[in-house]
Amino acid sequence: VPPLARLPLLFLGFVSLAFGAAGGLARLSALEVPASAIALHGPLMVSAFFGTVISLERAAALGRPWAYAAPLAAGLGGVCLLLGFSVEGFALMVLAASVFLVAGVVLVRRQPSLETATLLAGAAAWLAGNVLLLEGRPAAPWWMAFFALTIAGERLELSRYLKRPPWVRAGFAVLVALLVFSPAIPRALGLVLAVLAAWLLAFDLARVTIRRDRLPRYVAACLLAGYFWLAVGGLGLLLEASVDAALHAFFVGFVFSMVFGHAPVILPAVLRVRFPYHPVLYLPLAILHASLAVRALVSVPLGAWGNAAAIALFIAVALYLVTRFDPRQSARAASR
Amino acid sequence: MDEDDVKQVLLGIEDPEAGMSVLDLGLVYGIATEPGRVRVEMTMTSPACPAADYLVEEAAAAIRAAAPAGTEVEVRLIWDPPWTPERMSPEARTRFGWS
Repeated sequence: VPPLARLPLLFLGFVSLAFGAAGGLARLSALEVPASAIALHGPLMVSAFFGTVISLERAAALGRPWAYAAPLAAGLGGVCLLLGFSVEGFALMVLAASVFLVAGVVLVRRQPSLETATLLAGAAAWLAGNVLLLEGRPAAPWWMAFFALTIAGERLELSRYLKRPPWVRAGFAVLVALLVFSPAIPRALGLVLAVLAAWLLAFDLARVTIRRDRLPRYVAACLLAGYFWLAVGGLGLLLEASVDAALHAFFVGFVFSMVFGHAPVILPAVLRVRFPYHPVLYLPLAILHASLAVRALVSVPLGAWGNAAAIALFIAVALYLVTRFDPRQSARAASR
Repeated sequence: MDEDDVKQVLLGIEDPEAGMSVLDLGLVYGIATEPGRVRVEMTMTSPACPAADYLVEEAAAAIRAAAPAGTEVEVRLIWDPPWTPERMSPEARTRFGWS
């Protein structure tokens, strides 16, 4: 699948992001959006937007055309939800996660390891969440396990560059096993997520790369700030504090912070575009984290608008950085 | 273009997450040069790495740009044997706490 053919799939995911975010805001303040976007804010953000983006990335890594059925189904599922075909949309999300799971099996067979097994467990958690969604039961804890396993699996991979005592890896394996089962008991999941945050804050490659400069440092800042919110979200679930604060600490503070850091690395790989580093990238990152603090401590609606503004600004900055170079300059850079 | 020239080029290809070159990170398994031809074998730390094809293309483009015109450049991605930390350069091993 040629890189530019991946763009429509990404765009499909962004439709769900736009309406899903607007639907979330409409829950808190007067905003004219389709009722489906308000009711299905969670499925649109998690399974339609992130599901599309993450399974697209996995398909690109796998290099098999059939794997693109996952982002296609997830993206179309989001459109179905927006058009009012909820059951069809949920069924497409089950299909997307099933294909994603098979892609995970192929990766494990390609290289059996704790890393690939963790990614596979993440795929299984996404499928479990989507099946529950189709049955009309709460899916959020399983989706949280999906993100935690997927992100942690990729971070474990990169942390192999670092020398760590064997128990560090063994401890991670135990956390993975706990993440697979704990979503059945949300408070237990909260505890596991908080411990995972401590593991990541202590052992992630970001602890070394934060002392570098430019892109590696920016990525590390995104990651470490995200791990802080992962801990907050986990403790929030454990202590049964505000659901809004716990869920958004996790999905916005942890997951979106990962996206902000990951995009400059992954977009060149998936779309073959230049994404040059620029310090302005710190601006949406700062707004994201500051507005989350506002959301948790001061005002939920104000914080939520700040969250949305940070995401919109990040997309604008990304588009600007990706497109600002003229083709001749890009060609020179490509043949550097 | 000899092996050292190719190494010089590969020092400019970085793993963006690690902030180090693919050569220092031990991701380059082999370099074979003969007149008019360069072949490189490299790996990634993970088969789930979506940047793999991209880094391979970047490496090939950079070698092509540095090589005499008409040089045939082939960069192949291989998964066997799997990458291990022992493959890193002394500098990388120092930075990441191995020595």
